[in-house]
Amino acid sequence: MSVAETGHVPERRRSVRKEPAGLGRRLAPLDVIICCGSGGVGKTTVSAALGMAIAAADDKRVLVLTVDPARRLATALGIKGIGAEPVRIPKARLRRAGITITGDLEAAMLDMKQAWDRMIERYSPDRATAQRILRNPLYQRITDSFVGSHEYAAIEALYELHDAGEYDCIVVDTPPSRNALDFLEAPSRLTDYVGSRLLSLLSGGPSRFGFRAMNFAAAPFLRLADRLLGAEVLAEVSDFVQQLQLLYGGIQARARSVYRLLRSPQTGFVVITTLEQGPFSEAEFFCTKLSEFKMPLRAMVVNRVLPDVFRDTGGVAAATTLVEDPKVAAWLTDHLHTRVSTDTARFVGRTFLNRHTLAQRESRQLSKLSRLGDVPIVRIPLFSEEVTELEGLVRIARAL
Amino acid sequence: MPQRSWRPSTAVRRAIAGERIDLVTLLARRVVFVAGKGGTGRSTITAALALLGARAGKRVLAIDVDAKGDLAAALGSPPAGFTPRVVQHDLSVLELRTDESFQEYLNIYFKVPRLTRLTPLARVFDFIATGVPGPRDMLVVGKIAYEERRKEAGSTAPVWDLILVDCAAGGQAESHLAAAKAMLTLVRGGIIRAQVEWIDGLIRDPRRTTVVLCALPEEMPVTEAIELHERLRKGSGVAVDICVLNRAVDEPVSTATRRLVNALIDPENTAEIAKHLGGPPAPLEASIDLQASLYDTTARYMRQLRSKLPMPVVPIPFIVDRTGLTTTRAVADALSGRLA
Repeated sequence: MSVAETGHVPERRRSVRKEPAGLGRRLAPLDVIICCGSGGVGKTTVSAALGMAIAAADDKRVLVLTVDPARRLATALGIKGIGAEPVRIPKARLRRAGITITGDLEAAMLDMKQAWDRMIERYSPDRATAQRILRNPLYQRITDSFVGSHEYAAIEALYELHDAGEYDCIVVDTPPSRNALDFLEAPSRLTDYVGSRLLSLLSGGPSRFGFRAMNFAAAPFLRLADRLLGAEVLAEVSDFVQQLQLLYGGIQARARSVYRLLRSPQTGFVVITTLEQGPFSEAEFFCTKLSEFKMPLRAMVVNRVLPDVFRDTGGVAAATTLVEDPKVAAWLTDHLHTRVSTDTARFVGRTFLNRHTLAQRESRQLSKLSRLGDVPIVRIPLFSEEVTELEGLVRIARAL
Repeated sequence: MPQRSWRPSTAVRRAIAGERIDLVTLLARRVVFVAGKGGTGRSTITAALALLGARAGKRVLAIDVDAKGDLAAALGSPPAGFTPRVVQHDLSVLELRTDESFQEYLNIYFKVPRLTRLTPLARVFDFIATGVPGPRDMLVVGKIAYEERRKEAGSTAPVWDLILVDCAAGGQAESHLAAAKAMLTLVRGGIIRAQVEWIDGLIRDPRRTTVVLCALPEEMPVTEAIELHERLRKGSGVAVDICVLNRAVDEPVSTATRRLVNALIDPENTAEIAKHLGGPPAPLEASIDLQASLYDTTARYMRQLRSKLPMPVVPIPFIVDRTGLTTTRAVADALSGRLA
């Protein structure tokens, strides 16, 4: 059954039309669009829909760079799978789903390991250093678990793609971070880490006599670490960080260019959230931080908003009668010529009132949003079916 | 819109009913880890199991690994600290912080006095742990294992009968649980080898330790729960007892309900209905449509979970209230309603 056929919540188009121009048209002039938000808010789906809306608004070559391994997104885009190589979304398929794009739409998935390996190769002073790092058993663990390593890989890939200039507009779906700030802080964190004096200490400093010849101040710690872990572990760490430090110059220079790109007027951040407490407070925090970092917030997308029909005061009155009036079932049985039990009447009333409670809570959250910045706020209604097909994605793209 | 059948098939109803769980056995474990993607209701489930444990007369410690105060809030308490805070009879909460865990560890095993000259040491540790998180993960499970071993002063009786752990989101739970096993391959000597061995033993003993997985009826949380189970099985070798599907919409829209709604919105009746009920019936239809659709979604994910996971899958009905003690109590009741 296609999304269009199923019983979706009737939605008032009014809420979408509040925007003077579509978000697609507004964002189309930008080179880079970074979609942020906490996990589970539909970031990947909205990013893909945003790419679609931009390609529909303008004759641009658009790339959606995703980190999401959900196969359903590929299905939703009408393609078999998304890999590190960009895949074009067939225009004919999009037209059949109800959207005509004048530009080009492609999608690619971030390959974490590849991004890190290339970064090591690029910044190493010579091939031997690169090889030595790539072969170090600690390297794999670090790329996987260094705080912000996914974010750093995403930024690297974005920077490279932007630098290559093949696309007019790149929409990036950021990794689902524990902390939304990880994305903004990843480059400086890595630079700080690699350039840190503590790291020099651990690696034995420039003398390269190994661990034992280390700064006297670190001695108590190392004795303790030795007893805790055994000397071999520390030796492995030491070798690794020594090599890593050779990359410092390259990483530092890149971090500076990356921040230039993130602050550029040609870049825009789009914060995506739902109205649930957790994701919402994270979005608020993130907006504040963006302005602190002087990075341009361009729009907020609020996903899965309950439609206005659940805020209808007439509906509340009707539902309350169904729940509270003990004679209502009998009255309905008389007037509708069908047997209505009290339980059924109450169920119908209660179901509405539950949604109403949630809708009211959402309204309170929504009213807080406008305080966060003078940017367009786009609401995407809750479609009761999940977005699993192109038609569903197109519906979101239209709402944008 | 084509007419669709609103009566759920037997298969759908059976899927959504979920299975009975052996709560007694679950609560008889020493350590229960509650894991799942962010936002899947881990804290509420941990808190609900803690209430049930205390209700069964056990001395319960609930540990919040994220230390954001969510677990304490779900138990109706202000944020706790690294020292267990009693929130009700037989139930304490502790918020795990790795820096304090590190200090405690050094204090116990190396007699390093707390809070003296430790700041530079802690900074160096913090620094290493940013690059290689193994040691930090170890401090998390180490503290949990330490609490499991703690005895009442001058007695062999353990301080806690049951420890419930609200894990960090998603993949982090996995690295915590696998930390000991990973450490064993890394640490060939040194003083902690023996300690890591007993921690690993505790985690891999299905009689003492188990995991409860949390999911929501949405694509990614379900996929991640299935993948997490697979990785836990292969990685740390920890047992997984049940999977909980939170926010399940488990009340179907019956034929009678659909008949009533259709009659309510019949143009011939609408005016009279609106007058009697005090408002138009159309919005009621919207909420019933949404209910029916969410019920289908819940059933679909229940089926997916049950076909992919070997353990019982338990739906917890959607609760409209905000998270807090009231919601936690309702979830505890829902869980105990499924007692085998």
